[in-house]
Amino acid sequence: MIRLPLLLVVASLTASQSRADTRYEYNRDIRPILAENCFACHGADSAARKADLRLDRREDAIASGAIVPGKPSESPLVERLDLADPVKRMPPERSHKKLKPEQKAVLKAWVAQGAEYQPHWSFISAKRPPLPAVKRADWVCNPIDRFILAGIESAGLEPAPEADRRTLARRAALDVTGLAANPKWVDEFVNDPSPNAYDKYLDKLFASPSWGEHRGRYWLDVARYADTHGIHFDNYREMWSYRDWVIGAFNKNMPFDQFTIEQLAGDLLPNATLEQRVATGFNRCNITTNEGGAISEEYLVLYTRDRTETASQVFMGLTTGCAVCHDHKFDPISTKDFYAMAAFFNNTTQGAMDGNIQNTPPVIPVPSKGDESAMEQLQGKITKAKLAVENRKNVSRGEFEIWQAKATPATISGTVSPNGLALSAALTEGKGDKAKFVIAGKDVDIPLTGAAWVAGRDATKALKLNGSTATVPDAGDFDFNQAFSCAAWIKPPVNAGFGPIVARMEKQPDYRGWDFWMQDRRMGMHLINKWPSAGLKVVASAQLPANAWTHVTVTYDGSAKASGVKVYYNGQEQPVTVENDSLAGTTRTKVPLRLGQRDAGEPLANTPVQDLRVYKRKLSLNEAESLGNKLDGILAKAPDKRTADEKTQLFNWYLGSRDQTYGELKAGLVALEKEEIALRGRGTIAHIMQEKPGDAMAHVLERGEYDRRKDQMKASTPQSLPPMAKNAPRNRLGFAQWLLAAEHPLTARVTVNRFWQEVFGTGIVRTSGDFGITGEQPSHPELLDWVAIEFRENNWDVKKLFRLMLTSATYRQSARATSVKIDKDPSNRLLSRGPRFRLDAEVIRDQALSASGLLVAKIGGPSVKPYQPDGVWEAVAMIGSNTRDYRRDKGENLYRRSMYTFWKRSAPPASMEVLNAPNRETCTVRRERTNTPLQALVTLNDPQFVEAARVLASQVLADKALANDSDRLNALARRVLARDFRADELVILSESLADLRRRYAADPADAEKLSSVGDHPVQGALDRKELASFTMMANLMLNLDEVLNK
Amino acid sequence: MHPETEMGLNLTRRRFFGQGAHPLGYAALASLLGGRASAANSIDGGGVTPHFPAKCKNIIYLHMVGGPPQMDLYDYKPKMKDFYDKDLPDSIRKGQRLTTMTSGQARFPIAPSKFKFKQHGQSGMWVSELLPYTASMADDMCFVRSMNTEAINHEPAITYIQTGNQVTGRPCLGSWVSYGLGALNHNLPTFVVMVAKPSNTEQVQAISGRLWQSGYLPGEHAGVSFRTSGDPILYLNNPPGVTSSTRRASLDGLRRLNELTARDIGDPETVTRISQFEMAYRMQASVPELTDLTTEPESTLRMYGDAAKQPGTFANTALVARRLVERGVRFVQVYHNNWDTHANVAGRLPDQCRDVDQPCWALIQDLKRKGLFDSTMVVWGGEFGRTIYSQGGVSQQNYGRDHHPRCFTLWMAGGGIKPGTVYGETDDFSYNITKDPMHIRDLHATMLQCLGYDHSRFTVRYQGLDQRLTGVEHANVIKQVLA
Repeated sequence: MIRLPLLLVVASLTASQSRADTRYEYNRDIRPILAENCFACHGADSAARKADLRLDRREDAIASGAIVPGKPSESPLVERLDLADPVKRMPPERSHKKLKPEQKAVLKAWVAQGAEYQPHWSFISAKRPPLPAVKRADWVCNPIDRFILAGIESAGLEPAPEADRRTLARRAALDVTGLAANPKWVDEFVNDPSPNAYDKYLDKLFASPSWGEHRGRYWLDVARYADTHGIHFDNYREMWSYRDWVIGAFNKNMPFDQFTIEQLAGDLLPNATLEQRVATGFNRCNITTNEGGAISEEYLVLYTRDRTETASQVFMGLTTGCAVCHDHKFDPISTKDFYAMAAFFNNTTQGAMDGNIQNTPPVIPVPSKGDESAMEQLQGKITKAKLAVENRKNVSRGEFEIWQAKATPATISGTVSPNGLALSAALTEGKGDKAKFVIAGKDVDIPLTGAAWVAGRDATKALKLNGSTATVPDAGDFDFNQAFSCAAWIKPPVNAGFGPIVARMEKQPDYRGWDFWMQDRRMGMHLINKWPSAGLKVVASAQLPANAWTHVTVTYDGSAKASGVKVYYNGQEQPVTVENDSLAGTTRTKVPLRLGQRDAGEPLANTPVQDLRVYKRKLSLNEAESLGNKLDGILAKAPDKRTADEKTQLFNWYLGSRDQTYGELKAGLVALEKEEIALRGRGTIAHIMQEKPGDAMAHVLERGEYDRRKDQMKASTPQSLPPMAKNAPRNRLGFAQWLLAAEHPLTARVTVNRFWQEVFGTGIVRTSGDFGITGEQPSHPELLDWVAIEFRENNWDVKKLFRLMLTSATYRQSARATSVKIDKDPSNRLLSRGPRFRLDAEVIRDQALSASGLLVAKIGGPSVKPYQPDGVWEAVAMIGSNTRDYRRDKGENLYRRSMYTFWKRSAPPASMEVLNAPNRETCTVRRERTNTPLQALVTLNDPQFVEAARVLASQVLADKALANDSDRLNALARRVLARDFRADELVILSESLADLRRRYAADPADAEKLSSVGDHPVQGALDRKELASFTMMANLMLNLDEVLNK
Repeated sequence: MHPETEMGLNLTRRRFFGQGAHPLGYAALASLLGGRASAANSIDGGGVTPHFPAKCKNIIYLHMVGGPPQMDLYDYKPKMKDFYDKDLPDSIRKGQRLTTMTSGQARFPIAPSKFKFKQHGQSGMWVSELLPYTASMADDMCFVRSMNTEAINHEPAITYIQTGNQVTGRPCLGSWVSYGLGALNHNLPTFVVMVAKPSNTEQVQAISGRLWQSGYLPGEHAGVSFRTSGDPILYLNNPPGVTSSTRRASLDGLRRLNELTARDIGDPETVTRISQFEMAYRMQASVPELTDLTTEPESTLRMYGDAAKQPGTFANTALVARRLVERGVRFVQVYHNNWDTHANVAGRLPDQCRDVDQPCWALIQDLKRKGLFDSTMVVWGGEFGRTIYSQGGVSQQNYGRDHHPRCFTLWMAGGGIKPGTVYGETDDFSYNITKDPMHIRDLHATMLQCLGYDHSRFTVRYQGLDQRLTGVEHANVIKQVLA
């Protein structure tokens, strides 16, 4: 027989107590009482356990004597509930727990019946249940309805009548595409006399690419997708290729098992395709940091934890977060289980620091559509060119040996002309508070602030910069149209942060001036008139090695263009990233030149420096090479005294400066690499997972703290779930395959439950992210199992599952509630009426855009920045964050679907956040759904909605086929509600319209103002008073309860 | 945050203004439908009944983002004069972990504060010359010199002091207060956040909306950010060309249509929505009134200083904070940034202090004058302290200080707090606590105590556990600071 839905069980519990024949079930009746009152001290958590007593396992409870099956009067579990002695009574007073009399009676009866335990329901593999018997078999459209109807009937209710076609058409459009119903399709459906009219309508919806966007949008919450890193600077992360992959996967109707495997382990599949690697971005969506003082190990632990918790929650509905610190009090996931599972996600090459860059490794290039084959060819050419360069090295070796045997310092002296040397300093003094500078040819002693002398190159000393270390008043006064160059030897620490080696630059707000700049061990340059509107910023793409000496040169040709800046490491020209290319106007400033800091702010931390040079001209490649290889010391030695390393340095210099063939080959390679960069610039990148060599491992961490390592764990799945296949790889791929095994009790249930929640507003298990013991029981357990098995046996076909739900009689019911239903089924858990709940933030906006015709149908691509009130980002962002200034887009980017709106984690899209969109810091499987005045203000006043209302109004006003106001109002209704207004509604609307017309006739200036909200042009011919009046009517309509709800 | 908000599961009808209100939806719908009110109307629940009489009704929390250097402001260390540029003894550092900003430093040269200190009031509290106004009211205040935390970087440290946990996702202090005490004024939020703009912006740290989130508490208890430029609340103003009376007329039409829907469909949410649109309309009047300082007498504005008239300054937000508690807002969180003095303490600290010193004084005088001081607790402090040793070089003129979690100074005043108190002591290096430590968990427990809550019993069920602000580790109510 069918089990009663939970809430009915609860309601009937008291009544059933008197009946001796009630058979109590552990999962349904007993465990909730024990979990609430006993398990905190007598459960799985060995650390919190009192009196060495466990009540969560039958054998322990019996062995300890707490339970004597069949004999409640001899069982302390029952007896101690009512003791007068407060010391012995359970639960103890300090726990603030108290059992109700009926709960005590249930426990007593259960012990009397033999105290049988059951494993937790969700840990028992699903079996396909028989369909329950129902009275109104004629109502049933598919098996879902049998389960639902049985519940409705046992509550003494009737299902609701079928919704009218227009209501149904709108509901289905919102569920399949997330957009307003297409009026033409609705009319075709309404007027279609064929018996499969609804199926035909659904066919059109399911074929629309909006399906993939809409389903993908839910998945982005699950995957915690966003466009920034999240912590501290919260800089841009170029992540959207993963979003495109998600949309494409749904549109291809990729089976959910494949969808799971590719995201968790696409990189580990044999011959993984580019697409499969892009899919692994799922595990790269976690928040990351680059905060200056952060300790790497601490953050690596947090990242692994996040990936483990996300996978547990999304695929298994398990909240494993507690097991990080202690054995989970209720769920059978131990701390060891957690860390063994974490090992799967710990074995990645991703570093702790995101570098504040948009392409934190490991990443791969993703060519834009159409460039794929060009990219492939180019990469072939580059491989060949690299080989040619290497071969030339071998050939050249012999000539070099002859040259170097004769070479002395004189051989290469004069390579770098002292011409234009504006400033130089050896910075090798090694002691004292002064350093010798040569400024415009004159020796000057410059005082140092907090000088720290550290070991330099070749047994010399070096000056360690740490904030403003020296101030030189009259040097480096360059304007934007003057060429200049900077060079130095530096040894950046691992976490060098941001800051200049040398700068002549004002503080905010303008930052006028220039600097020789390092960020995250990447060298570059700023030239600024006013930041960020008139400035230039170029930074090398590659990081300098940490804690090693590198010679760096940056040259600028005075062109005011980013292309005029070149960066060299050890004399090798570097590929660069252009972060700003808008320089115009003077860069001259009165502030002095400083070492280690701008005039204020941006101190460079802990970076030793030597041989600083600033030239008033652009150094050539050859000069950069020569500077970068201070070879004099080596050349001064006799050839046979030179070490292998020194010879390598000489050889590199020789190749670059003396071997013409090598130079040509190298130039060819650089040109190809530049071409590749340009091609990549047209495309994007993907953040991917990349496995480290060796077995996946993780340490158990005491209390979850990164520096308290305990046992090392091999990757393994939780003990209480079915084991992994013996031959399965012990990595993410094996883990993903294990999740999808037929006997896995959780994955299919959890997945269909989440899809059910999307359609019906609430999952069959309401706690859709918690199928553990602390979660709720399913309202319809057999239905959940039936749908889960149906889904799995139908090859995890997502569209088929949605069609099953949408064609059920359950779904097609009218949402109308009677007072009896409100009484007996207040939150519609029985589905005694159709689903009706407030639309998600994105759908509310997309509905307005699609109904007004503003929506741009383009699929995928980079994120966009539509209307947002000023200051939302600026209020929270750090100065220097590249997502501090919200510069809104123009044109079509204002009207893209909401899933493409740029998601900054520390300030999510303002209007959507008000409507309960999550901040995407961690995985969210279920959004809150509130009803607040702040939300009313969004839909009433946000320019996006006001503009949509205006455009909606202008389209109706411009339609000559509409004869009168009623026609026009109905035309609005059809676009937004897929129906005409009823007579009683038209009375109210006509009154409102007349009132608005009076007002705007009296104040044409107001009419003009309202008509100009938003960028979209107004059709010139429309009367502004009429347009304003209808704009307000459309605004009213977009705020109707019926419009905000499904 | 973690998505399973068990206690919130029923609350599909959440309202912004909290839980003190009657559950309008069902009752009103029942009357619309001509039926009786449903028993389900207890769904919204109420606040949490205090465990003992409250000494304080409101809190204004002034958070100094970045971590002020305690030894330059409140933790007077005269002996350090003799240690200028000497290395911090290992016996003091005791192998403590450092941020990676200074862990590579070859030496840790001590930088004595270059600012002069004097004793003030009956308590004899030593206060730096940078804070003359604050010093003048030493006897109204309780200084805690022994605050401590485990976090050493900004993100985890701010998250810790705001939510009781270093990892993001838990409800913050303001959300707990909103959840417990509920609303006094149904036209305003219970928990308001303001981010003040510092006059100096050398080293501004990140502040994120996650800091005022409600975590596993219902969403209505998240802080509502009052913006310091543009509309104080997002989308508060009608579009251009829509007057208040036009909006009123249009809302009347909307209401009548929604009432038809409520009758036809019978969804209680519809009735709640009608009332929320009405509330939105009322807010359009009440919020601008609140932030309009032209109604304040010139004498009050003068008290807060010239900056008070400039929206977004700390002085301005302090005055708005008073107006908020005056109107019944429970918790006002103000952030003031740029205290992260890794470098240039000498140049920057005077600017920082000038921003906050006089307005803090004015706020307390103002609260007293309005009779609100006894029921309002004001708290001032950062997320951690700073090191006695200099980051980078030290000179007699200038120095920088890195993050320091082991001790920092915070002050409290007003409702429930014992005036003229100095609590806790540190060693000569302001490095380790030598007497009466106060962990941030203790601070939370003590603040809740003033509001009438036993922190160990002020819990909410989430993931099967009774969660609380002070977490699973031990926390003490510090009785010595209570009035």
